[in-house]
Amino acid sequence: MTVKRGPFALAAAAAGFVGALGLHASGSVTALTPKLSTPRSGPSTPATTIPSTSKGGSNSTPPTSKGGPTTTTHVPPVKKAKGTSSRSVTGSTYNYSYGQLAVRVTVTGAKITGLSVVGLQTAESYSQQIADQVIPMLRQEVLAAQSVRVNGISGASYTAEAYVSSVQSALNKLHFK
Amino acid sequence: MGTVVTFHVEASHLSEANVREAIAEASKMMHRHDDIFSTWKQESPMSLLRRGELSLDDAPSEIAEVLALCAEARSLSGGWFDASSMPGGIDPTGLVKGWSAENALGLLKDAGVTSAMVNAGGDIACLGSPSTGGRWKIGIRHPWRADALACVLEVNDAVATSGEYERGRHLIDPIGRLGRQPAAATVTGPSLAFADAFATAVAVGGDEAFAIVASLDRYDAYLIRADGSEESTEGICLVNASADK
Repeated sequence: MTVKRGPFALAAAAAGFVGALGLHASGSVTALTPKLSTPRSGPSTPATTIPSTSKGGSNSTPPTSKGGPTTTTHVPPVKKAKGTSSRSVTGSTYNYSYGQLAVRVTVTGAKITGLSVVGLQTAESYSQQIADQVIPMLRQEVLAAQSVRVNGISGASYTAEAYVSSVQSALNKLHFK
Repeated sequence: MGTVVTFHVEASHLSEANVREAIAEASKMMHRHDDIFSTWKQESPMSLLRRGELSLDDAPSEIAEVLALCAEARSLSGGWFDASSMPGGIDPTGLVKGWSAENALGLLKDAGVTSAMVNAGGDIACLGSPSTGGRWKIGIRHPWRADALACVLEVNDAVATSGEYERGRHLIDPIGRLGRQPAAATVTGPSLAFADAFATAVAVGGDEAFAIVASLDRYDAYLIRADGSEESTEGICLVNASADK
Protein backbone atom coordinates (compact mmCIF):
# COMPACT_ATOMS: atom_id res chain seq x y z
CA MET A 1 0.00 0.00 0.00
CA THR A 2 2.87 2.32 0.54
CA VAL A 3 3.79 4.49 -2.33
CA LYS A 4 7.03 5.97 -3.41
CA ARG A 5 8.64 8.14 -0.81
CA GLY A 6 12.18 8.35 -2.06
CA PRO A 7 13.81 11.27 -3.71
CA PHE A 8 13.60 10.08 -7.21
CA ALA A 9 11.21 12.21 -9.18
CA LEU A 10 10.52 9.95 -12.10
CA ALA A 11 9.59 7.04 -9.90
CA ALA A 12 7.28 9.27 -7.96
CA ALA A 13 4.25 7.30 -9.02
CA ALA A 14 5.15 4.22 -7.05
CA ALA A 15 4.78 0.61 -7.93
CA GLY A 16 1.15 -0.26 -8.30
CA PHE A 17 -0.08 3.29 -8.22
CA VAL A 18 0.94 4.49 -11.61
CA GLY A 19 -1.73 5.70 -13.90
CA ALA A 20 0.55 6.68 -16.70
CA LEU A 21 -1.63 7.37 -19.63
CA GLY A 22 -0.82 8.80 -22.97
CA LEU A 23 -3.17 11.27 -24.48
CA HIS A 24 -1.49 10.83 -27.80
CA ALA A 25 -3.19 11.92 -30.91
CA SER A 26 -2.30 12.13 -34.55
CA GLY A 27 -0.28 15.07 -35.67
CA SER A 28 2.52 16.34 -37.80
CA VAL A 29 6.10 17.17 -36.99
CA THR A 30 4.95 20.43 -35.42
CA ALA A 31 3.08 18.57 -32.70
CA LEU A 32 5.06 19.68 -29.72
CA THR A 33 4.08 20.48 -26.18
CA PRO A 34 0.51 21.46 -25.49
CA LYS A 35 1.73 25.06 -25.25
CA LEU A 36 2.11 24.99 -28.99
CA SER A 37 0.56 27.99 -30.63
CA THR A 38 1.59 27.43 -34.22
CA PRO A 39 -0.96 26.32 -36.77
CA ARG A 40 -1.13 22.63 -37.31
CA SER A 41 -0.51 21.20 -40.71
CA GLY A 42 1.00 18.22 -42.38
CA PRO A 43 0.06 14.58 -42.70
CA SER A 44 -1.64 12.88 -39.84
CA THR A 45 -0.08 9.82 -38.31
CA PRO A 46 -1.93 7.00 -36.64
CA ALA A 47 -2.80 7.76 -33.04
CA THR A 48 -0.87 5.84 -30.45
CA THR A 49 -1.97 5.21 -26.93
CA ILE A 50 0.01 4.32 -23.90
CA PRO A 51 -1.59 1.68 -21.66
CA SER A 52 -3.26 3.33 -18.74
CA THR A 53 -1.96 0.99 -16.10
CA SER A 54 1.52 -0.22 -15.54
CA LYS A 55 2.26 -3.80 -16.32
CA GLY A 56 2.62 -5.73 -13.14
CA GLY A 57 4.74 -8.73 -12.50
CA SER A 58 8.44 -9.31 -12.50
CA ASN A 59 10.89 -9.92 -15.23
CA SER A 60 10.11 -13.11 -17.08
CA THR A 61 11.88 -16.25 -15.96
CA PRO A 62 13.47 -18.67 -18.42
CA PRO A 63 11.24 -21.49 -19.67
CA THR A 64 11.48 -24.86 -18.02
CA SER A 65 12.85 -27.68 -20.09
CA LYS A 66 10.47 -30.04 -21.80
CA GLY A 67 10.60 -33.79 -22.04
CA GLY A 68 12.82 -36.23 -20.20
CA PRO A 69 13.14 -36.04 -16.49
CA THR A 70 11.43 -33.01 -15.09
CA THR A 71 13.89 -30.39 -14.09
CA THR A 72 13.41 -26.93 -12.88
CA THR A 73 15.53 -24.29 -14.47
CA HIS A 74 16.28 -21.40 -12.28
CA VAL A 75 17.84 -18.04 -12.73
CA PRO A 76 21.50 -18.29 -11.73
CA PRO A 77 22.21 -16.22 -8.65
CA VAL A 78 23.52 -12.75 -9.36
CA LYS A 79 26.91 -12.05 -7.88
CA LYS A 80 26.45 -9.57 -5.07
CA ALA A 81 28.58 -6.51 -4.72
CA LYS A 82 29.04 -4.78 -1.38
CA GLY A 83 26.16 -6.67 0.09
CA THR A 84 23.56 -5.34 -2.36
CA SER A 85 22.43 -6.90 -5.60
CA SER A 86 21.59 -5.20 -8.83
CA ARG A 87 18.43 -5.86 -10.73
CA SER A 88 17.70 -4.82 -14.25
CA VAL A 89 14.47 -4.64 -16.11
CA THR A 90 13.46 -3.23 -19.43
CA GLY A 91 10.49 -0.93 -19.29
CA SER A 92 7.60 -1.14 -21.69
CA THR A 93 8.15 0.15 -25.19
CA TYR A 94 6.55 3.51 -25.62
CA ASN A 95 5.56 5.28 -28.76
CA TYR A 96 6.15 8.91 -29.31
CA SER A 97 5.28 10.68 -32.50
CA TYR A 98 8.57 9.98 -34.21
CA GLY A 99 9.30 6.46 -33.09
CA GLN A 100 9.39 4.20 -30.11
CA LEU A 101 11.84 3.32 -27.41
CA ALA A 102 12.27 1.29 -24.28
CA VAL A 103 14.65 1.96 -21.43
CA ARG A 104 16.46 -0.69 -19.45
CA VAL A 105 16.83 0.33 -15.83
CA THR A 106 19.31 -1.14 -13.36
CA VAL A 107 18.64 -0.69 -9.69
CA THR A 108 21.20 -1.42 -6.96
CA GLY A 109 19.78 -1.26 -3.49
CA ALA A 110 17.81 1.96 -3.37
CA LYS A 111 19.55 3.71 -6.23
CA ILE A 112 19.17 3.72 -9.94
CA THR A 113 22.61 2.88 -11.21
CA GLY A 114 22.11 2.25 -14.86
CA LEU A 115 19.98 3.34 -17.73
CA SER A 116 20.25 2.32 -21.33
CA VAL A 117 17.96 2.71 -24.27
CA VAL A 118 17.04 -0.51 -26.00
CA GLY A 119 14.79 -1.01 -28.93
CA LEU A 120 14.92 2.51 -30.24
CA GLN A 121 13.22 2.87 -33.53
CA THR A 122 12.65 6.23 -35.07
CA ALA A 123 10.40 7.04 -37.93
CA GLU A 124 12.87 9.26 -39.72
CA SER A 125 16.54 10.11 -39.67
CA TYR A 126 15.96 13.55 -38.13
CA SER A 127 14.36 11.95 -35.14
CA GLN A 128 17.26 9.53 -34.92
CA GLN A 129 19.67 12.44 -34.78
CA ILE A 130 17.71 14.10 -32.03
CA ALA A 131 17.40 10.85 -30.17
CA ASP A 132 21.16 10.32 -30.44
CA GLN A 133 21.75 13.62 -28.70
CA VAL A 134 18.84 13.84 -26.36
CA ILE A 135 18.80 10.35 -24.97
CA PRO A 136 22.33 10.36 -23.56
CA MET A 137 21.50 13.69 -21.93
CA LEU A 138 18.27 12.34 -20.53
CA ARG A 139 20.18 9.53 -18.88
CA GLN A 140 22.31 12.04 -17.04
CA GLU A 141 19.27 14.02 -16.12
CA VAL A 142 17.55 11.00 -14.66
CA LEU A 143 20.60 10.17 -12.58
CA ALA A 144 21.12 13.81 -11.57
CA ALA A 145 17.51 14.23 -10.49
CA GLN A 146 17.96 11.35 -8.14
CA SER A 147 20.48 13.30 -6.13
CA VAL A 148 18.40 16.44 -5.88
CA ARG A 149 15.49 14.96 -3.99
CA VAL A 150 12.64 16.36 -6.02
CA ASN A 151 9.08 15.11 -6.06
CA GLY A 152 8.52 15.99 -9.70
CA ILE A 153 9.98 17.69 -12.75
CA SER A 154 8.34 20.48 -14.69
CA GLY A 155 9.17 21.21 -18.30
CA ALA A 156 9.45 17.72 -19.74
CA SER A 157 9.85 17.61 -23.47
CA TYR A 158 8.15 15.44 -26.01
CA THR A 159 10.97 12.99 -26.58
CA ALA A 160 11.59 12.85 -22.86
CA GLU A 161 8.08 11.69 -22.15
CA ALA A 162 8.48 8.36 -23.89
CA TYR A 163 11.79 7.90 -22.12
CA VAL A 164 10.33 8.80 -18.75
CA SER A 165 7.38 6.50 -19.27
CA SER A 166 9.59 3.56 -20.05
CA VAL A 167 11.83 4.24 -17.06
CA GLN A 168 8.74 4.48 -14.93
CA SER A 169 7.34 1.21 -16.15
CA ALA A 170 10.68 -0.49 -15.56
CA LEU A 171 10.79 0.87 -12.02
CA ASN A 172 7.28 -0.41 -11.46
CA LYS A 173 8.33 -3.85 -12.60
CA LEU A 174 11.21 -3.71 -10.17
CA HIS A 175 8.87 -2.49 -7.45
CA PHE A 176 11.37 0.23 -6.86
CA LYS A 177 10.58 2.22 -3.76
CA MET B 1 -1.56 16.73 -27.57
CA GLY B 2 0.79 13.87 -26.94
CA THR B 3 0.91 14.23 -23.20
CA VAL B 4 1.94 11.59 -20.74
CA VAL B 5 0.29 11.95 -17.36
CA THR B 6 1.62 10.61 -14.10
CA PHE B 7 -0.37 10.20 -10.93
CA HIS B 8 1.55 10.22 -7.67
CA VAL B 9 -0.45 9.36 -4.59
CA GLU B 10 1.11 9.36 -1.16
CA ALA B 11 0.19 6.59 1.25
CA SER B 12 -2.94 7.36 3.19
CA HIS B 13 -5.80 5.75 5.02
CA LEU B 14 -7.26 4.61 1.71
CA SER B 15 -6.87 1.04 0.56
CA GLU B 16 -4.74 0.27 -2.46
CA ALA B 17 -7.86 -0.81 -4.32
CA ASN B 18 -9.55 2.52 -3.62
CA VAL B 19 -6.54 4.48 -4.77
CA ARG B 20 -6.25 2.41 -7.95
CA GLU B 21 -9.90 3.01 -8.66
CA ALA B 22 -9.58 6.75 -8.08
CA ILE B 23 -6.59 6.93 -10.42
CA ALA B 24 -8.48 4.91 -13.03
CA GLU B 25 -11.38 7.34 -12.83
CA ALA B 26 -9.04 10.31 -13.07
CA SER B 27 -7.34 8.75 -16.11
CA LYS B 28 -10.69 8.14 -17.74
CA MET B 29 -11.65 11.76 -17.16
CA MET B 30 -8.48 13.03 -18.79
CA HIS B 31 -9.00 10.74 -21.77
CA ARG B 32 -12.49 12.15 -22.10
CA HIS B 33 -11.12 15.66 -22.03
CA ASP B 34 -8.69 14.72 -24.78
CA ASP B 35 -11.54 13.29 -26.85
CA ILE B 36 -13.41 16.57 -26.45
CA PHE B 37 -10.59 19.07 -26.90
CA SER B 38 -7.96 17.50 -29.10
CA THR B 39 -7.50 19.48 -32.27
CA TRP B 40 -5.57 16.50 -33.60
CA LYS B 41 -8.76 14.46 -33.61
CA GLN B 42 -10.67 15.65 -36.64
CA GLU B 43 -14.02 14.70 -35.21
CA SER B 44 -13.55 16.01 -31.69
CA PRO B 45 -16.15 18.56 -30.63
CA MET B 46 -13.37 21.16 -30.50
CA SER B 47 -12.37 20.44 -34.09
CA LEU B 48 -15.99 20.56 -35.21
CA LEU B 49 -16.46 23.85 -33.40
CA ARG B 50 -13.38 25.32 -35.05
CA ARG B 51 -14.70 24.32 -38.47
CA GLY B 52 -18.08 25.82 -37.69
CA GLU B 53 -19.75 22.40 -37.84
CA LEU B 54 -20.86 22.52 -34.23
CA SER B 55 -22.22 25.38 -32.17
CA LEU B 56 -21.03 26.13 -28.68
CA ASP B 57 -24.52 25.44 -27.36
CA ASP B 58 -24.50 21.94 -28.84
CA ALA B 59 -20.96 21.18 -27.76
CA PRO B 60 -20.06 19.50 -24.43
CA SER B 61 -20.36 22.03 -21.63
CA GLU B 62 -16.68 21.61 -20.79
CA ILE B 63 -15.81 23.55 -23.94
CA ALA B 64 -17.75 26.61 -22.83
CA GLU B 65 -16.18 26.33 -19.40
CA VAL B 66 -12.66 26.18 -20.80
CA LEU B 67 -13.24 28.98 -23.30
CA ALA B 68 -14.51 31.19 -20.49
CA LEU B 69 -11.29 30.50 -18.58
CA CYS B 70 -9.30 31.33 -21.70
CA ALA B 71 -11.06 34.68 -21.95
CA GLU B 72 -10.24 35.42 -18.35
CA ALA B 73 -6.62 34.36 -18.85
CA ARG B 74 -6.34 36.61 -21.87
CA SER B 75 -7.59 39.54 -19.88
CA LEU B 76 -5.36 38.83 -16.88
CA SER B 77 -2.25 38.31 -19.01
CA GLY B 78 -2.68 41.54 -20.90
CA GLY B 79 -3.32 39.62 -24.09
CA TRP B 80 -0.08 37.64 -24.03
CA PHE B 81 -2.16 34.48 -23.68
CA ASP B 82 -4.84 34.55 -26.34
CA ALA B 83 -6.69 31.42 -27.38
CA SER B 84 -8.55 33.28 -30.11
CA SER B 85 -5.52 34.61 -31.95
CA MET B 86 -4.46 31.33 -33.53
CA PRO B 87 -5.00 30.56 -37.17
CA GLY B 88 -7.55 27.79 -37.58
CA GLY B 89 -9.92 29.10 -34.97
CA ILE B 90 -10.08 29.28 -31.23
CA ASP B 91 -7.52 27.05 -29.56
CA PRO B 92 -7.39 26.52 -25.81
CA THR B 93 -4.32 24.30 -26.00
CA GLY B 94 -2.19 26.51 -23.75
CA LEU B 95 -4.70 26.16 -20.89
CA VAL B 96 -6.69 22.96 -21.32
CA LYS B 97 -3.89 20.58 -20.30
CA GLY B 98 -3.52 22.32 -16.96
CA TRP B 99 -7.29 22.51 -16.58
CA SER B 100 -7.66 18.80 -17.24
CA ALA B 101 -4.94 17.82 -14.77
CA GLU B 102 -6.41 20.13 -12.15
CA ASN B 103 -9.80 18.46 -12.54
CA ALA B 104 -8.23 15.03 -12.36
CA LEU B 105 -6.60 15.99 -9.06
CA GLY B 106 -10.00 17.22 -7.85
CA LEU B 107 -11.43 13.82 -8.60
CA LEU B 108 -8.70 12.17 -6.50
CA LYS B 109 -9.45 14.58 -3.69
CA ASP B 110 -13.15 13.75 -3.88
CA ALA B 111 -12.24 10.09 -3.57
CA GLY B 112 -10.56 10.81 -0.26
CA VAL B 113 -6.96 11.26 -1.35
CA THR B 114 -5.19 13.86 0.81
CA SER B 115 -1.74 13.98 -0.74
CA ALA B 116 -1.06 13.67 -4.43
CA MET B 117 0.41 15.15 -7.60
CA VAL B 118 -0.89 14.94 -11.14
CA ASN B 119 1.90 15.64 -13.60
CA ALA B 120 0.66 16.22 -17.12
CA GLY B 121 3.74 16.50 -19.28
CA GLY B 122 5.43 18.85 -16.85
CA ASP B 123 2.35 20.79 -15.77
CA ILE B 124 1.79 19.71 -12.21
CA ALA B 125 -1.21 20.02 -9.88
CA CYS B 126 -0.47 19.27 -6.22
CA LEU B 127 -2.59 18.39 -3.21
CA GLY B 128 -1.56 18.29 0.42
CA SER B 129 2.06 17.60 1.33
CA PRO B 130 4.57 14.97 0.31
CA SER B 131 5.32 12.29 2.88
CA THR B 132 8.66 13.96 3.52
CA GLY B 133 6.74 16.96 4.84
CA GLY B 134 6.67 20.59 3.79
CA ARG B 135 5.80 21.57 0.26
CA TRP B 136 6.26 19.71 -3.00
CA LYS B 137 9.73 20.15 -4.44
CA ILE B 138 9.59 20.51 -8.20
CA GLY B 139 12.69 20.54 -10.35
CA ILE B 140 12.54 22.84 -13.36
CA ARG B 141 14.25 21.38 -16.36
CA HIS B 142 17.09 23.48 -17.66
CA PRO B 143 16.04 24.82 -21.07
CA TRP B 144 19.17 23.90 -22.94
CA ARG B 145 21.10 21.60 -20.66
CA ALA B 146 19.12 18.41 -20.61
CA ASP B 147 21.43 16.97 -17.99
CA ALA B 148 20.56 19.54 -15.38
CA LEU B 149 17.77 21.22 -13.53
CA ALA B 150 17.70 25.01 -13.64
CA CYS B 151 16.36 25.16 -10.09
CA VAL B 152 14.09 23.47 -7.63
CA LEU B 153 10.94 25.25 -6.48
CA GLU B 154 8.66 24.64 -3.54
CA VAL B 155 5.11 24.42 -4.77
CA ASN B 156 1.79 24.43 -2.95
CA ASP B 157 -0.80 23.93 -5.63
CA ALA B 158 0.29 24.20 -9.22
CA VAL B 159 3.30 24.74 -11.47
CA ALA B 160 3.55 24.97 -15.24
CA THR B 161 6.57 25.49 -17.47
CA SER B 162 6.69 26.63 -21.06
CA GLY B 163 9.70 27.05 -23.25
CA GLU B 164 11.75 26.02 -26.21
CA TYR B 165 13.63 22.95 -25.09
CA GLU B 166 14.96 20.69 -27.78
CA ARG B 167 12.38 21.43 -30.41
CA GLY B 168 13.27 25.03 -30.95
CA ARG B 169 11.06 28.05 -31.25
CA HIS B 170 7.47 27.09 -31.67
CA LEU B 171 5.55 29.76 -29.83
CA ILE B 172 3.52 32.35 -31.69
CA ASP B 173 3.25 35.87 -30.42
CA PRO B 174 -0.47 36.76 -30.60
CA ILE B 175 0.05 40.50 -30.43
CA GLY B 176 2.86 40.69 -32.90
CA ARG B 177 5.23 42.37 -30.52
CA LEU B 178 7.89 39.71 -30.65
CA GLY B 179 10.62 40.70 -28.27
CA ARG B 180 13.39 38.47 -27.06
CA GLN B 181 11.55 35.38 -26.01
CA PRO B 182 12.81 33.68 -22.88
CA ALA B 183 14.17 30.18 -23.07
CA ALA B 184 11.88 28.98 -20.32
CA ALA B 185 9.08 30.38 -18.19
CA THR B 186 7.62 28.80 -15.09
CA VAL B 187 4.53 29.97 -13.27
CA THR B 188 3.21 28.81 -9.90
CA GLY B 189 -0.17 29.57 -8.36
CA PRO B 190 -3.41 28.18 -7.00
CA SER B 191 -4.84 27.01 -10.35
CA LEU B 192 -2.97 24.89 -12.88
CA ALA B 193 -5.29 26.01 -15.67
CA PHE B 194 -4.14 29.59 -15.17
CA ALA B 195 -0.54 28.69 -14.38
CA ASP B 196 -0.50 26.86 -17.72
CA ALA B 197 -1.90 29.87 -19.58
CA PHE B 198 0.39 32.33 -17.80
CA ALA B 199 3.49 30.22 -18.44
CA THR B 200 2.60 30.30 -22.11
CA ALA B 201 2.07 34.06 -21.89
CA VAL B 202 5.47 34.64 -20.28
CA ALA B 203 7.23 32.31 -22.71
CA VAL B 204 5.87 34.43 -25.54
CA GLY B 205 5.95 37.88 -23.96
CA GLY B 206 9.15 37.71 -21.95
CA ASP B 207 9.83 40.51 -19.49
CA GLU B 208 6.66 42.42 -20.22
CA ALA B 209 4.39 39.42 -19.65
CA PHE B 210 6.52 38.49 -16.64
CA ALA B 211 5.76 41.88 -15.08
CA ILE B 212 2.04 41.41 -15.66
CA VAL B 213 2.00 37.98 -14.01
CA ALA B 214 4.11 39.36 -11.17
CA SER B 215 1.36 41.86 -10.45
CA LEU B 216 -1.27 39.14 -10.12
CA ASP B 217 -2.20 38.07 -6.64
CA ARG B 218 -0.95 34.57 -5.69
CA TYR B 219 0.76 33.86 -9.00
CA ASP B 220 4.52 33.87 -9.31
CA ALA B 221 6.87 33.49 -12.20
CA TYR B 222 10.40 32.34 -12.85
CA LEU B 223 12.09 33.21 -16.09
CA ILE B 224 15.24 32.05 -17.84
CA ARG B 225 16.19 34.39 -20.63
CA ALA B 226 17.87 33.38 -23.86
CA ASP B 227 21.11 34.89 -22.57
CA GLY B 228 21.02 32.67 -19.49
CA SER B 229 20.02 35.36 -17.01
CA GLU B 230 17.20 34.54 -14.63
CA GLU B 231 14.52 36.41 -12.82
CA SER B 232 11.89 35.41 -10.33
CA THR B 233 9.04 37.10 -8.53
CA GLU B 234 8.96 37.45 -4.74
CA GLY B 235 6.79 34.46 -4.07
CA ILE B 236 8.98 32.00 -5.97
CA CYS B 237 10.64 29.78 -3.41
CA LEU B 238 13.93 28.40 -4.65
CA VAL B 239 15.23 25.34 -2.88
CA ASN B 240 18.68 25.28 -4.35
CA ALA B 241 20.66 26.17 -7.44
CA SER B 242 21.33 24.05 -10.49
CA ALA B 243 21.89 20.41 -9.74
CA ASP B 244 24.56 19.84 -12.34
CA LYS B 245 27.70 18.00 -11.44
